[in-house]
Amino acid sequence: MSELVQQALAAFEKSLDRRLLAALEVCARCGICAESCHVFAAEPDFRNAPAAKAEAVRRFYRRHHDPIGRLFPWWVGAKDLTEADLDELAELAFGACTLCRRCTMNCPMGVDTALIMRAARAMLTAAGKAPEMLVQLADAAIAREENLELFREFYIDQIRELERELQEQTGDPAARIPVEKERAEILYVALSGAHTILPAAILFHAVGADWTLSMFEAANYGYFLADLQRAKAIARRIVEEARRLKVKEIVLAECGHAYTVLRWEAPNWFEDFPFRVRSIIEVAAEWIEQGRLPLDPAANPEPVTYHDSCNLGRNGGLLEEPRRILRAVVQDFREMNPNRAENFCCSGGAGLVAVPEWYEKRMRAGRRKVEQIRETGARIVVASCDNCRLQLGDLNDYYQLGVRVSGLMDLVVNAYLAARRSSPTRPAPIPTPAPVSVS
Amino acid sequence: MSTTALWGGIFLIALALCGVGLGWRLRRLLAHPSRPDRAPPRGAAWRGILYAFTWGMMPWAKESTRRHFLPYVRGVLFHIGIFATFASLIVSPWRHALPPTLAQVGLGLTLMGALGGLIGVLMRILDERLRALSHPDDDAAVVLATAWQAAGTAFWADPGALPFFYGLSALTLVAIPLTKIRHCLYFFFSRFFFGRFYGRRAVLG
Repeated sequence: MSELVQQALAAFEKSLDRRLLAALEVCARCGICAESCHVFAAEPDFRNAPAAKAEAVRRFYRRHHDPIGRLFPWWVGAKDLTEADLDELAELAFGACTLCRRCTMNCPMGVDTALIMRAARAMLTAAGKAPEMLVQLADAAIAREENLELFREFYIDQIRELERELQEQTGDPAARIPVEKERAEILYVALSGAHTILPAAILFHAVGADWTLSMFEAANYGYFLADLQRAKAIARRIVEEARRLKVKEIVLAECGHAYTVLRWEAPNWFEDFPFRVRSIIEVAAEWIEQGRLPLDPAANPEPVTYHDSCNLGRNGGLLEEPRRILRAVVQDFREMNPNRAENFCCSGGAGLVAVPEWYEKRMRAGRRKVEQIRETGARIVVASCDNCRLQLGDLNDYYQLGVRVSGLMDLVVNAYLAARRSSPTRPAPIPTPAPVSVS
Repeated sequence: MSTTALWGGIFLIALALCGVGLGWRLRRLLAHPSRPDRAPPRGAAWRGILYAFTWGMMPWAKESTRRHFLPYVRGVLFHIGIFATFASLIVSPWRHALPPTLAQVGLGLTLMGALGGLIGVLMRILDERLRALSHPDDDAAVVLATAWQAAGTAFWADPGALPFFYGLSALTLVAIPLTKIRHCLYFFFSRFFFGRFYGRRAVLG
C-alpha cells in the first residue's frame, strides 16, 4: 500500500463517526436517488447517480470494515484502495458532487451522501489530491491573518474609498464604515470586494445599527477541502476578532458556505463561542418586519426569481426569510419550481466554481437550473450566495439566458433608496455611527 | 424428535446468531464517536425526527418517490410483507388455535410481500441501472427475503409447510447481519440522524 493511500485511509478513519458509518451501511442500492442529483439530471449516466458516486467510498470501506468484504470482496463489491482510485475519487468528490444534499432529502433511507463525499474530500486533501486552486485559496486566507499588519493600512484605505461612496449614496456626509470598533453590537463579515460591503453598510446606516466591519472575509476554502485544520484556522480569525472586539453578534454577508461554517460548524470547533451568528438575510428580514426600513418595491419592477442556495436553504433553514424580503422589495416575485428545500443546486457549490478546469463540467451540470430559470420568465435571478451568483452569471452567459443576476441586499437597497427619494421628509431612523477607530 | 421440533431448534439457534451478529454491528456503530452539535438550533430536533419516521416516509413526501411512485409502493409492500412474515414466524407454534380470519390476513400479507419481492428481483435483473449498481450480495438478499415470504405464504396455506418455513427463516436470520438485509438496523440510525439534522435546522418537521 503506497504512502498516499495510507494517508488517505488514515484521514478516512478520522472522519468515521456514527453518522458516516450509518450512511455507508444503510444504502439498499435502490437507485431512487438518481434523478434528484442535478449532475445526473443534466447527464443521465448512472455513474452520476449519488448511490454510484458513494460506492467509490463504500468499496474500500467494505474491504476494511466488513467481515464479508475482507473474506469475499467480489460478493459485496469490496476493493482495495489504490492511487488510481484516488484520482477517480477526486473527480467524483470534488468535480461531480456539490454536497448539496438534495439526494439525502430524496432517499427513503436518508443516506447522507454529502457526508460520504466530504469524507472522500478529507482523504484526498490529506493525500495531496485536492484541486490545487482550493488549497491555494485556503492557504492564502490563513496567510492573511499571519500577515495582518502588512495589509491593514491598504485595507483601511480601501474602506475609506468605499465610505465616500456610502456617503454619496446615503446623502449623509457623516456616514461611516467602522472597522475594528470595540463593543459594537454587530461584527459584519463580508466577502472579498465591495459588492457585499456597500449594500450592507447602506442598510446598517439606514437603521442606525451599531456595527463594525471585519478585517477578514467570510469565505472558507478549508471547508470545501474538508480539511478541519485549515477550516478551523480560517474561522478562528473571525471568532478571535469577535472575541477581541467583544461584539454581541456576527452577521455574515450573503454567502452560503460561510453561513454553514460559522452558524452550524464553528460552535462545535471552539469552546468559547459567546455570540450569535446570523446571516444579513435574517437581519434584514427582521428589520423589514419591524418596519425599520422604508421600502418602495416600484424600484424593482422587473420579474424576479429566487435561487435557494443549498447551504442557506436546504442545509441552513433560511427558506422563508429571503421570500419575505423579496415580497417587500420587488413588484413581481416568481418562484422557481421546485423551490425551497427541493430546489436544484446551481452546480457551482462546494468550491466547483473556483476550479477553472471544471468550467465545462459545471456548465453541463447547471442545465437543470437553467431550465428552472427559463420557466419562470424572470428577468432578474436573485441568489444570496456569492458562489451561486458566480455560477448563475456563467450559466447566463453560456446559455444566453438574458437575465441579470443579483444579490438580495442589492434589491433591498434599491427599494430603500427609492423610498427615501420618494419621501425625503420621512423621518429616517439614521443615528450616525461612531467615527472609525482603528486599533 | 419431530421434524417440526428439529427445525424449531435450528430456528432458535439461527435467531441467536442473528442477535449476536446484529449486536456486534450495533456495538461497532456505537463505538464510533457521536460528534456533538453545539450550534444553537433554529428548530426542534424532535420534530424532524418525528417527520423522518412518519410523514417523511409517505410516497408523496419526496420528489423521488412521487416520480417512482409504483416502485416505491412495491418496496413498501415488500417490507410490510417482511414484517408480516416475521409476525407469522412468532405466532407459528399456535397456528392451529388462530382464528381463520387472521390466517387469511397472514396469507394475504405474506403473499403480497412475496409478489413485491418477485417484482424486485425482476427489476434487479431487467433494469440496467440497478444491474450496474448491484452486487451479488444485493441480488441474493432480495431473492432470500422473497423466498422467505413465499415460505410464509406456504405456511399459511398449508401448515404442513412449517418445516420449510422454519428452514428458510433460519437461513434468513443468519443472513441478516451478514448481507445487505442488515440495513434494517442502520435504517433507524440513518433516519434519526436525518431527522435530527433537518429538525434542528428548521428545514423539515
